[in-house]
Amino acid sequence: MTTDTITEKLSIHVKSFQESFDILSNSSSLYEMSMQFMKVLRGSFFTTNISMFHKNDYDSEWRTLIAKDDESIEKISSISEQDSLKINSNEEITELYTSTKLVDSSYLGIWLGKKYDGTEYTDIDKITFQIFIQLFDNAYQALLSHKKEKELIFDLNNKVAQLYNLIDTGIELSNLHHGDKMMELAISRAISLTDSSFGRIKVTEDNTVIEEATFPPYLEKEMHKNHKSLTEKFVDVGIEYEFTLCEKESRTGTVDYDDTDQLLFGAIVRQVHAAIENDRYHKEALENEAMKRELAVAAEIQKRILPDKLPVIDGYDLAGINIPSKEVSGDYYNVLKLDDGRYALIVADVTGKGMPASLLVSTLDASLQAYLNFKIPLSEMAVKLNSIIFRASTADKFITFFIAVLNPQNGEIDIINAGHNPALILRKKKEVEKIDAGGVAFGMFDMGLPFEGQKLTLEKGERLFIFSDGIPEAMDKDEEEYSDERMEELFKNEISDSSRDFISMILRDVRKHTKGEPQSDDITAIYLIRKE
Amino acid sequence: MVLDFELTSEMVNDVLVMKTEGYINNAGGEQIAKEFEKYLNKGVSKLLIDIEKSKVVNSIGISFLIEIIEKLNGKGGKLYFSNLDPSIEKTFTIMGLFQFAGKVDSVEEIK
Repeated sequence: MTTDTITEKLSIHVKSFQESFDILSNSSSLYEMSMQFMKVLRGSFFTTNISMFHKNDYDSEWRTLIAKDDESIEKISSISEQDSLKINSNEEITELYTSTKLVDSSYLGIWLGKKYDGTEYTDIDKITFQIFIQLFDNAYQALLSHKKEKELIFDLNNKVAQLYNLIDTGIELSNLHHGDKMMELAISRAISLTDSSFGRIKVTEDNTVIEEATFPPYLEKEMHKNHKSLTEKFVDVGIEYEFTLCEKESRTGTVDYDDTDQLLFGAIVRQVHAAIENDRYHKEALENEAMKRELAVAAEIQKRILPDKLPVIDGYDLAGINIPSKEVSGDYYNVLKLDDGRYALIVADVTGKGMPASLLVSTLDASLQAYLNFKIPLSEMAVKLNSIIFRASTADKFITFFIAVLNPQNGEIDIINAGHNPALILRKKKEVEKIDAGGVAFGMFDMGLPFEGQKLTLEKGERLFIFSDGIPEAMDKDEEEYSDERMEELFKNEISDSSRDFISMILRDVRKHTKGEPQSDDITAIYLIRKE
Repeated sequence: MVLDFELTSEMVNDVLVMKTEGYINNAGGEQIAKEFEKYLNKGVSKLLIDIEKSKVVNSIGISFLIEIIEKLNGKGGKLYFSNLDPSIEKTFTIMGLFQFAGKVDSVEEIK
């Protein structure tokens, strides 16, 4: 056959070649392309006996795409690697078959069986078959390029979606409170972002699991063992949070986690940690704000209770002081003029500070002012006050209480001391007396225990000093106390005609001892001089 | 592989309506695709997926949905979604699904 003859015969197929390529290159899968190719071959070679096979590389098993003859695969399999592209035929030349290496090194096997009319395949048929196979390879290359392009676009879009999801997850987590489905959101987002199959967050404190979140929600607790997994953990105020993701998915099964998964997972875990910390700081800030408001109210209550100024008592010089260590003092002091002309000098110290202490002081003040004018014996009044304070306070709250009722005419003083520091009297002979009258602090027991009173007389030139433990127990940086001894020494030796001067003096001495250390307790004192 | 997925389907007029529940991942996406193939061969060209009860989806699940969209578009049909979780809707938008798929509130909106 001359070249001219071949060219002439092939030119008949040119349009068919072009149309075939268009059809094949529009296919979306190898299978679809095979189906289209079968139609093309059927029309060109007048046969319906067509089988097609594919394998990923030479050593793989053939996979059937279309099989019209059970023996066709054996003929395809008999073709050696070297004979790839060669068009083979049976002896009668009524069958053509070939194994062609495609552009991605996979193999396409095609078998053409007997034609409708039973005639043998011509040389032109063989050349045409060869050209069609080349067209298929070109179309297959286009399919692979298109697939690769789609995969790249998908990956790019997926990366953008992952970043958006990460940002949104951070925002959503920061809007949640710990325990408010925070863990459920975190584990589901981590799983989605990393294409994991399942996972778990385990929260433990002292080796005890206190919270657990899984995705899917009904996941068996220990089933993540024996799976490919990623784990991240952090510890926040003694509580350990362990995150585990399992089985990264692909279309063909599970694959290993990559660096991107590690980065995304780490970012989610850090977002959870930040959200937990922020939630804690927020709660603390709210508590501090509530405490500040409480202290402001307590300070206002105390301001109304503590005296603006003390009464002037004829023949006496009187001064008092109250310096709270915090915003609100737990100490109380007052000097009240009674209807019978006597004066009640009171110093009390409530355990604790803030609103509870302030309310208890308020109760004491109101009860005290009511009872003092009933002219009942102090010891009896103390029993009643103790009972009131006991009922008004919690088990850990009590009040130490010292009261001295002075008759200014003769200097006689009635005293009750309920668990308070003994007050001091400086006698004319420069002797210091401690007032031992006693009883337990108010609010500790309510069993009708008696409070023994004490009577004494303050002679002219003598002094009375009632104080709270904030003075002798004031500490320096080494936690060494100012001490009762040093205070008594000062009380004994620093004689002044002015009560105010003595108060100033003792405060200076206390500060000298503490050397600028913050005041550890409230300081309260009353100093009374009976003038000569 | 952990299965957290359930699928129901029914024909409402000429629309195949699927309702999903659970994680749309490899297993979930494959179930949707297989169910869809059954009807595609019968000439169905409109598919509505109601994903109200699916709050989590991964990229493998999305790849199955994209394949369904391509197959439907090749036949002149269309995929619709309803009851999308805001987070999933955002992901689908970024992944380009709504260039070819639609969003509806109910099957009655599909003509």
